[in-house]
Amino acid sequence: MRRMLDRLYEIALWLAAMTFALIAVLVLAQVLGRLTDRVARFLALPPPGLTIPSLAEFGAFLFTGAVFLGLAGTLQAGSHVRVKLLIRSLPEAPARWLGAAVCLLAAGLAVFATWSSGLQVVDSLKFGSVSYGMIPIPLALPQGLMTAGLALFAIALVDSAVTLARGGQAGFDLAETRTERGN
Amino acid sequence: MEIATLAPILLGVLFGTLALGLWVGFALIAVGLVAMILAAPAPAELVFATKVWGGLSVWGLTALPMFIWMGEILVRSRLSSDMFSGLAPFTARLPGRLLHVNVLACGLFAAVSGSSAATTATIGRMSLPELKSRGYDERMAIGSLAGAGTFGFLIPPSIILIVYGAATEQSIARLFLAGVMPGALLAGLFVGWIMIWSLLNADRMPVAEPPTDRREALGAMARLLPVVALIVAVIGSIYLGIASPTEAAVIGVTGAILLAWTTGGLSLHGLADSLRAATLTTCMIAFILAGASFLTVAMGYTGIPRELARMIGEMGLSQYQLLAMLTLFFIIMGMFLDGISIVVLTVSIFLPMVTAAGIDPIWFGVFLVLVVEMSQITPPVGFNLFVIQTITGRDIFAIARYAIPFFLLLVLATAILSVFPQIALWLPSTMMSR
Repeated sequence: MRRMLDRLYEIALWLAAMTFALIAVLVLAQVLGRLTDRVARFLALPPPGLTIPSLAEFGAFLFTGAVFLGLAGTLQAGSHVRVKLLIRSLPEAPARWLGAAVCLLAAGLAVFATWSSGLQVVDSLKFGSVSYGMIPIPLALPQGLMTAGLALFAIALVDSAVTLARGGQAGFDLAETRTERGN
Repeated sequence: MEIATLAPILLGVLFGTLALGLWVGFALIAVGLVAMILAAPAPAELVFATKVWGGLSVWGLTALPMFIWMGEILVRSRLSSDMFSGLAPFTARLPGRLLHVNVLACGLFAAVSGSSAATTATIGRMSLPELKSRGYDERMAIGSLAGAGTFGFLIPPSIILIVYGAATEQSIARLFLAGVMPGALLAGLFVGWIMIWSLLNADRMPVAEPPTDRREALGAMARLLPVVALIVAVIGSIYLGIASPTEAAVIGVTGAILLAWTTGGLSLHGLADSLRAATLTTCMIAFILAGASFLTVAMGYTGIPRELARMIGEMGLSQYQLLAMLTLFFIIMGMFLDGISIVVLTVSIFLPMVTAAGIDPIWFGVFLVLVVEMSQITPPVGFNLFVIQTITGRDIFAIARYAIPFFLLLVLATAILSVFPQIALWLPSTMMSR
């Protein structure tokens, strides 16, 4: 179970990373296409007109989807920002219970976010909402990714709360300590 | 509900959840949720997803992962080790000598990386041991690093300005250009202070280094040229209007990969590592931004920002008085919060007030960056302090003490910028197209 969950967060994080890389490749293709057009026009040749239609919209959707997919992995890596003055100053056991309570509170908020995001997907499906660009993209697709990512985030938070309540160390605590030691 | 009772409740929720150690993005959502439940006619579950979706699916934000990735690649290249030998010959004759390497290297690195912590860490690992082994005053070495490390937020590409631009719907290209001259001003102030200090404290300066071999120095400087060319290409293409910030950033990523690969500093493993690190930072920032998009709308329902703008309007403060008040407020906030949180909170609460006072939103973005820079070096929560603590092992309060002169120079720069707003606004006004 432990290994399966950790693998799940890491896979989602890598999907996010690959999506960012994909955005880079698409934008690069667009830039090179425009450059080719300019060179062709300069040489008085017909410009081949290589462009990626609706890149701005498509890129924004990819970005949003990737961000939410990466949330759980970012939590595990200890990269989400928080103020740790109080938790630091408490002795070990109370700090752990406070940590668990904070995780549960966060999990509650993440469940609200997932639910809200799920409602949006249902609406988009019901009205068949598509994007405005040249290539209409059903909005339910990227919004579905957002919902999935938020759900995984909620799972990761419950997971950490349980780990802390059982007396273990949460993934983000281990990672935060590693970062602070400078590696 | 009355604003007079609602506002303290929301403040309590915000600082309560933050103090407990709730992640910043969640704290913003919690405040937004409480505000919606107590004061808004619309159901929160319908508003949340729509606003978060709308706030994040913005083309301009795709520049964020790209600029972060570019910096992460160059951190892993040989750039940082080349920097000291390449910059040292420039500074050897100035009063203060190699202490200036901190300022110059941070400025140069800030132009390839949008993050202040990354700038401080990369330069610090290289320069602090070098300066120590040559007998420079450690307090001045650490203080100047802490101060100059904050450049990352001001000199384009700046992560903070991308976030501010996306949250306020201002042109990111213009914001970038607005940061250039204030960044140079700040570097000038830091260099000036190091010169004055070293003239006053000649007894604490080490003996002069033996003159370096001229050919060797030229060679070391030449190794920095490709990076300088990359910086010029990225910023220049934005300035000339050839490329949007995202396109410029992707050109930057491509250039960084080529550069790191040809100089033999980047393996495939390192490339994957840099992408992973960029993803973590992007997701962290975007989550805070998501919370802020929701909070902004929720605050709009409560009417608090409008009321605040009206109250300040009635007080009849001059712009300088208002800015002085805001600076003080931000310095206090900055002791406890990180820069991005300060920016998104400000945008959701103070922006109506600021624009009502007739302050240019582009200028205000640069002003915000300066106060955010101060927050990086004020204890107990200041990211540059944490970074330098891990490098040197000194505790953060000592490091903050060494950085006090540089903190004051940041305040001075803010004052100069308030009196002469053109320092920020002139360059974007000369921009071609867009």
